Amino acid sequence: MAPKKNIIVKIDNLHKSYGAEEVLKGVSLDIYEGEVVILVGPSGTGKSTLLRCVNQLTTPDSGHVWVQDVELTDPNTNIDTARQHIGMVFQSFNLFNHLTALDNVMLGLLHVLKQDKEAAREKAMMELDRVGLANKYMNYPGQLSGGQKQRVAIARSLAMEPVVMLFDEPTSALDPELIGEVLEVMKTLALEGMTMLCVTHEIGFARDVSHRIVFMEHGDIVEQGPPKKILNNPDLPRTKQFLGKISSLH
Amino acid sequence: MELFTELIPYVLRGLNVTLEVTAVALGVGLIFGALLAIGRVYGGKVLSRALGIYVSVIRALPHILLLLIIYFLLARIVDLTPFWAGSVSLAIISSAYQAEIIRGAILSVPHGQMVAARSIGMTRIQAIRYVILPQALRHMIPPWSNEASIVIKDSSLVYILGVPEILRQAQYYSGRNPTKPFNAYLAVAVIYFALTFLTNRGLDALEKRIRIPS
Repeated sequence: MAPKKNIIVKIDNLHKSYGAEEVLKGVSLDIYEGEVVILVGPSGTGKSTLLRCVNQLTTPDSGHVWVQDVELTDPNTNIDTARQHIGMVFQSFNLFNHLTALDNVMLGLLHVLKQDKEAAREKAMMELDRVGLANKYMNYPGQLSGGQKQRVAIARSLAMEPVVMLFDEPTSALDPELIGEVLEVMKTLALEGMTMLCVTHEIGFARDVSHRIVFMEHGDIVEQGPPKKILNNPDLPRTKQFLGKISSLH
Repeated sequence: MELFTELIPYVLRGLNVTLEVTAVALGVGLIFGALLAIGRVYGGKVLSRALGIYVSVIRALPHILLLLIIYFLLARIVDLTPFWAGSVSLAIISSAYQAEIIRGAILSVPHGQMVAARSIGMTRIQAIRYVILPQALRHMIPPWSNEASIVIKDSSLVYILGVPEILRQAQYYSGRNPTKPFNAYLAVAVIYFALTFLTNRGLDALEKRIRIPS
């Protein structure tokens, strides 16, 4: 599905430093509705920081972020309300350990969206079904495999009906044989037209599913373009070298 | 058998008081301790530092000394019965220890839990209430059963304010029967053992009941 013309996420000139180290050096990026954007680059280049600045889990030092015309960097914006519709999936899953799969998905519906119990339960079961885990609804995170945990985490985000999903290395903590089931869910989402910003080294996924690959290094975007172009014929030798290195691993 | 007709009924007259003092000290101590702990973990630098000092001071002084200090301080401000003065003093003391237990339990919940809760739009207070505390509560039961054991026995300290709990009752009894002081104190020892034992067993059972399946 081709991305539409309207911008969902607008990132303008973001700067972020940790002590003396400047992690983001004025990054700007627009993401369109229905677009799947992959962030790649060496570790420590600020990919995850950029992702976390989008929903303000990390506060940038300067610059602006808008999600659907709401400026999240505006101090007058209610950040909790704004975050309700920005899904985020973490490398380490971060499922709520004391709750079943169903309750994990229901928690936000009950307490953030204030839905009644019946409606929340129905919605949560639907989302678990969507990631293929309706039969595991009574399981606690400790009773699920890594791949299943990540799929529940995706369902938990989807239940909030996000306008964009942020993925922070969603498959990096998984055993190789479990990566496929998570990528499959992500692929389905992409095909349904979800707007997605993903930090991942899964080059196959980037090639088959994404609309754009953004290559970051040293806190800035150095090259971006359609996957075919970036993977086969990038402008910069550095991009080619890095992507060659991670492709040979997969 | 004067043991069963006289001694035990006499000492047991103090049991209600012992239980009430313990319940107030642990219960009020838990509420204050939880507030102190939340303030220390999430309260920002100034509040966290101030509460840390409070906890350090309380923990640095002998309980019996604090009991006297708090009693005479409180007695100047409000008109309190010795029972309430003693119970509230023990609650204040226990809150400092419980604060550290709860703080440790909160810190043992992985940081990602808070991040995930905030990412679905929960406020910080909602995240603490629905995600952090339910997990911290489970981690705090073993150290908390330690504190409960200590408070059960510390309830005997209120005897210096003249509150008639079991140790005080035993003392009265020994005073009236100076030939056999041992019997009364032995009876009190058995009661403390039973209270502590039952409490710890109960908390063990609770810990097993709310354990997260894995």
